[in-house]
Amino acid sequence: MANKVDAKVVLLGKEYSGKTCLVERYLHDRFNKDIPYQNTIGAAFGAKREVIDDKSLTLGIWDTAGSERYEAMSRIYYRGAMAAIICYDLTDSSSFDKVKFWVNELRTHEKNCAIFLCGTKLDITKQDKRKRQVDYHSTTDYADEIHAKVFETSSLTGENVGEMFYDVAKTCLEKPVAKAPKEISSLKLVEPKPKKRCPCS
Amino acid sequence: MRFEEKYKTELETGQVSKHTQFNYAWSLTRSPNTNDIKKGAHLLQDLCTHGTDQRDYLYFLAEANYKLSEYQIALKYINRVLDIEPNNKQAKELKEKIEKKMKRDGVLGAAIAGAGMVVVGGTVLALAGAAALVGILVKKK
Repeated sequence: MANKVDAKVVLLGKEYSGKTCLVERYLHDRFNKDIPYQNTIGAAFGAKREVIDDKSLTLGIWDTAGSERYEAMSRIYYRGAMAAIICYDLTDSSSFDKVKFWVNELRTHEKNCAIFLCGTKLDITKQDKRKRQVDYHSTTDYADEIHAKVFETSSLTGENVGEMFYDVAKTCLEKPVAKAPKEISSLKLVEPKPKKRCPCS
Repeated sequence: MRFEEKYKTELETGQVSKHTQFNYAWSLTRSPNTNDIKKGAHLLQDLCTHGTDQRDYLYFLAEANYKLSEYQIALKYINRVLDIEPNNKQAKELKEKIEKKMKRDGVLGAAIAGAGMVVVGGTVLALAGAAALVGILVKKK
């Protein structure tokens, strides 16, 4: 059962907001400073099992490309997602505009998808407070409005990354519908059994 | 399919934008239908000769050919992606997948060729036997 995915999770957000680094930290607990920035091609997939109390579930994570040219394709990736992690760069206020765009998209097309807002590059803002461009409290106010949760993370140090994905897994587990609804689950095709022949004939 | 519609409308006006062609090509390579994938690959190839965003087109071309079991061609394209970005993780992973299939097919191919030899050999023997038999019968007459 190792390869079975129980919950689809999609990562969305402006390019260079740190989605791939976040996934890299979560899946492999590493951060490679030496590799220069490379934007994602299309989308990348990864999976990890989370254990919550005595239950476990596998998160299937779609890390989408943030560049505008892939925007139209992202719908294919968030379709049927149980949770979406929308990333924004805490040091770039324009990345938060994109958050609103994705929230709108999800609220229109995937009403049942739980939304997590994820501020990234927390380490930079901690090192130098002037670098912060997105205020924590205005983010939580906005999150309350749209019934979302907020996490501020650092993929460099790993701060809050595990906690966020744990919460994502927990939310997926608590969802009333555990699996994507089957379209024709109520329809059953029953072939009439051939009548038994009388053995005497 | 909205990507297809957009492509066709632009085609009618005689001016297809790269973006439209890319979206349509990409969606075609996602199809389970082999002909769709081939068509998508063809459109991507066209972009590679005329477009500038080489890396992504090449990556999807490699992926499409991988799906079509054209591993030699897939390998050629993924190597071109790795020439541009030697550390690209997605490209490295796809290359691994391609090479794995090639290895398996190589072993399998050798096995099939071997089996073929036996069949051909058997046929030759049978033919020789039949000829000998005819020869004997002719002699007897």
